[in-house]
Amino acid sequence: MRKITAILILAATILSCLLLSACGAKPDDPGKTDDPARTVPENVEVVFYHTMGANLRAVLTKYIAEFNKKYPTITITEQSVGGYDDVRNQVITELQAGKQPAIAYCYPDHVATYLRSKKVVDLNTYINDKNPEFGLTEAQMNDFISGYYAEGKSFGDESKMYTLPFSKSTEVMYYNKTFFDANGLSVPDHWFANGENDATSMEYVIKKIKEIDKTSIPLGYDSEANWFITMTEQLKTPYTQAAEKVEDRFLFNDDKNAEFLNKFRGWFLNGYMTTQAIYGAYTSGLFTNTKPNDDGIVIHSYISIGSSAGATYQCPSANDDGTYPFEVGIAQIPQADTSNKKVISQGPSICMLAQKDSKVNDAAWLFIKYLLTSPEFQAEFSMTSGYVPVIRSTFELDAYKEFLAGANYTKDGIAALSAKICMEQESNYFTSPAFVGSSDARDKVGELLVAYISAPEGTSAADLKKLFEDAYNRCVSLNK
Amino acid sequence: MADRKEFVIKDIDVAASMRNQKTANIIRLTVIYIFLTLMAVMMIFPFYWMIISSLKTMEEYRLNVPTLWPKKIVFENFVMAFEKAKLLDLFLHTLYVGAVSTVLSLVVTVLSAFAFARLNFKGKGIVFGALMATMMVPGELYTITNYLTVSGRLPFLEESISWLDITNTFAVLIVPMLVSVYYIYLLRQTFMQIPNELYLAAKVDGTSDFKYLWKVMLPLSVSTIITITILKMMGSWNAYIWPRLVANDDAHKLITNGLRGASFVTEAGDTNFPAQMAAVFIVSIPLFLVFVFLRKYIMRGVSRSGIKG
Amino acid sequence: MTDKKNNYKAWLYLSPALVLLLIFSFYPLINTFRMAFLNGYNGLAIVGGETFEFGIENFKTVIGNVDFKQYLKNTVLLCVITVPISTALALLIAVALNSIKPLQKVYQTVFFLPYVTNSIAIGMVFNAMFTRVGVGDLIETQGIINNIIGIFGISPVNFVNNGSTWGANMFVVCTYIIWHALPFKILVLMGGLQNVNKQYYEAAKIDATSKARTFFRITVPLVSPMLAYVIITSFIGGFKEYSSIVGIFGETMGPAGSSGQMNTIVGYVYNMLPKSNLGNASAASLILFAIILVVTAINGYVSSKKVHY
Repeated sequence: MRKITAILILAATILSCLLLSACGAKPDDPGKTDDPARTVPENVEVVFYHTMGANLRAVLTKYIAEFNKKYPTITITEQSVGGYDDVRNQVITELQAGKQPAIAYCYPDHVATYLRSKKVVDLNTYINDKNPEFGLTEAQMNDFISGYYAEGKSFGDESKMYTLPFSKSTEVMYYNKTFFDANGLSVPDHWFANGENDATSMEYVIKKIKEIDKTSIPLGYDSEANWFITMTEQLKTPYTQAAEKVEDRFLFNDDKNAEFLNKFRGWFLNGYMTTQAIYGAYTSGLFTNTKPNDDGIVIHSYISIGSSAGATYQCPSANDDGTYPFEVGIAQIPQADTSNKKVISQGPSICMLAQKDSKVNDAAWLFIKYLLTSPEFQAEFSMTSGYVPVIRSTFELDAYKEFLAGANYTKDGIAALSAKICMEQESNYFTSPAFVGSSDARDKVGELLVAYISAPEGTSAADLKKLFEDAYNRCVSLNK
Repeated sequence: MADRKEFVIKDIDVAASMRNQKTANIIRLTVIYIFLTLMAVMMIFPFYWMIISSLKTMEEYRLNVPTLWPKKIVFENFVMAFEKAKLLDLFLHTLYVGAVSTVLSLVVTVLSAFAFARLNFKGKGIVFGALMATMMVPGELYTITNYLTVSGRLPFLEESISWLDITNTFAVLIVPMLVSVYYIYLLRQTFMQIPNELYLAAKVDGTSDFKYLWKVMLPLSVSTIITITILKMMGSWNAYIWPRLVANDDAHKLITNGLRGASFVTEAGDTNFPAQMAAVFIVSIPLFLVFVFLRKYIMRGVSRSGIKG
Repeated sequence: MTDKKNNYKAWLYLSPALVLLLIFSFYPLINTFRMAFLNGYNGLAIVGGETFEFGIENFKTVIGNVDFKQYLKNTVLLCVITVPISTALALLIAVALNSIKPLQKVYQTVFFLPYVTNSIAIGMVFNAMFTRVGVGDLIETQGIINNIIGIFGISPVNFVNNGSTWGANMFVVCTYIIWHALPFKILVLMGGLQNVNKQYYEAAKIDATSKARTFFRITVPLVSPMLAYVIITSFIGGFKEYSSIVGIFGETMGPAGSSGQMNTIVGYVYNMLPKSNLGNASAASLILFAIILVVTAINGYVSSKKVHY
């Protein structure tokens, strides 16, 4: 074993030789793809990485076939890579070997990471192409729901467009309509009560519910991170920004954010609400629960805030006779300031990565353009997935109208009900700045919210403040 | 008289001690069985969980209080596993890769272990230390570098060399994974237990090293060889990260990739665990059968000599 | 014995392994050194044409991480606690299995089951066993373990949920690791027991040596090469612990409100990879490498004194 020391010395010698030559490959400049005279490419293969399950893949395959009627010599190779993180990891590794796919599903922070390779194609070079075969018309651009479209420009440089929305979801509020109607409660549309008897505030409603049903947890919030970020948007308090220095990127350590957390903490300590992480299981399960626990109590919530794409989970199982234990209502999430309505948007976008042969990128763009400007594809994809379409013209399609018309509170109709509410709040979407480390900020504020509101009663203000500092320090530490 | 007394006492002693020993034996065996049963219950529980999960609906799986027995048994997860993954293709690929890598890996392992255990050469300690050192760095960093290597992306060169790109071949699934220091080390330990005298005797007889290895060492190390075979097969069968990275095309896809990939995502984007469990259960059956088949060779020594401990 | 011919033959035997290791293990290891000593090395930035300077910034960043001490503490403790316990348990089970006749095959198969049980399933089981669902007085379930210890009048413990203590988390993770490590160790030790020369036992039997004495004086020394193997490799593996924590807590590596509470050095390496921050990842790996090297050297020294070949 003493010999291992010898190995180390040997390794160190080899190492020092290696270090003398730090290598660097010349990048293909992806900005150079805006050739003035683009032509329709032929005989090229476009690789597309995504995370679709079998049913969605079937939809995709169908539209690839349609696409090929128009462009028969472009081959689209779609690969289901796993989850979003799997796609990211695969792309990062492949970028290093120069073997990246032309199109990939992405979240903004993934793209922020990819950007350092200088291989992410600025889609504006295609969108603004004068050739109608490639460029998007004014009408096509405006057809995108603006809140979704804006995400592509959220990478620090407004003139560059790095992603396009593929399909999206948002958060909606599910409530037990049967219970609300029976007790004459109104559906809350804002968080904090203005005065004692503000019947449309969340604060008032959850207090009332707790008075009526002492063994309930009136409100369950699915995603802590979403809650924190949404509150900063609604209240216009600091969260993050894309800045050069790591220390300047994370702004959430701010007393204004402690204010709303203090409110929520009060609610939690009174037993008015919980979140998924605090509760220890899906809050949708809490909302739909009908089974008594060991003490014979049926614990459940009456309001559940969660993803619009998860509507079927927020619907209780039907009884044996086909009736439902209660009727689910869906509404927009409450606001802090009804003049500044904000709701988060989630779900995959797609980005394009530069290929050795720019013809492949041209072909990839034609495919992206085909999918994202096709209301038929968007409609079919949405109806299969529970996600909502990213272009407005989808709502004009008869098939989609028919789908929405079937909206009701049963298992079959609840997805449409949720989609309807999403449409209503389409002007409220926001996107947070995307940069390397933006997902750390997201993770840490989620944890911060949990730790803050669930800290034992009597925790000192200084200790609570320290939670903010810890979260900030961790974010900085992880991105040095 | 004195003699006789002594004899009697001895006689009683023997009978008593035999009785005592019998009681002690029963107690000892009871303790052993209780111990083994307790541990076995703990071992079997997750396997049981895997099976019942595969028989649950997604709805039941998501219940806040998990059920110990499915309320409603459904087989649709198994149907889905068969329908959604091209199981036969995946099986064949995996079988091929598993068989070839196990055989080749055994050859490499045996040769190296023999050199380390039996031969004396300059630098043996250093080489062995270096081998051990490769185990001490988290594998993920190897994966990235190795991926660049098999893509023909060599150090100090500006461009990849395309003819060195061996991704999407069976070779890339087999070759980089052939040598495992863990197994070399394990077999070396076994080889070293074989008395040196045997080797020296063989040398005197003029037996070649290779013949000695083949005729003496291997038969004496069957248990370990079988253990390594099982472990290596499991390794190829369960390999996931590397195969997904280097050979994800339909012509080379392995079973875990086919099954753990996105085939089992619900439309809302959650993993469909019941369906995945069904798939995993199907995949584990062949492994299980291989183990049951090879198990007797591990324990062969015992049954042959009839030791009861 | 160390003649020239033997030298050349040994290298011949080793050559297949060495060639492969050179390409797929030593080169990545050296590359890890290179990346660790290039300040802020980022795999994607290289593609983007950036260059990096030689220096030790990465090491400073890693050690300067606010949670590094916590990661180090977790890494070391997990290893130090689980390796002795799981090895002792595995040895007991292997010996117990060896000493029974009826049902031996059944037990042996059962102890192998965790090997063919998918890791996701094991994670799910642990969730069901330890996760409490509910808030304050409104409890849906305390988890199976709390229900069991409740029978003995022990009040429920918050094992893994929000607000759970580091100690409670540690207990769960250690349990998981020990459980997970058992089948491999049992398999290897059982194989080792088969290589033991049966004559020793016969001799002990004739001498009517007590069972405990037989165990410590004969069994343990005779399987000592395998024990040394198991201990050394599981120390190496133990320091690289990561997946068991993900299995229990998910990527947050700790309970909801205090994530990272159970994170380890390898966990940190994994945190760096999604940003392609290979410089920090490599530096952290090398710090770990140094620790493992020292521990393995100590292990090797001890075993060279205690192991009987």
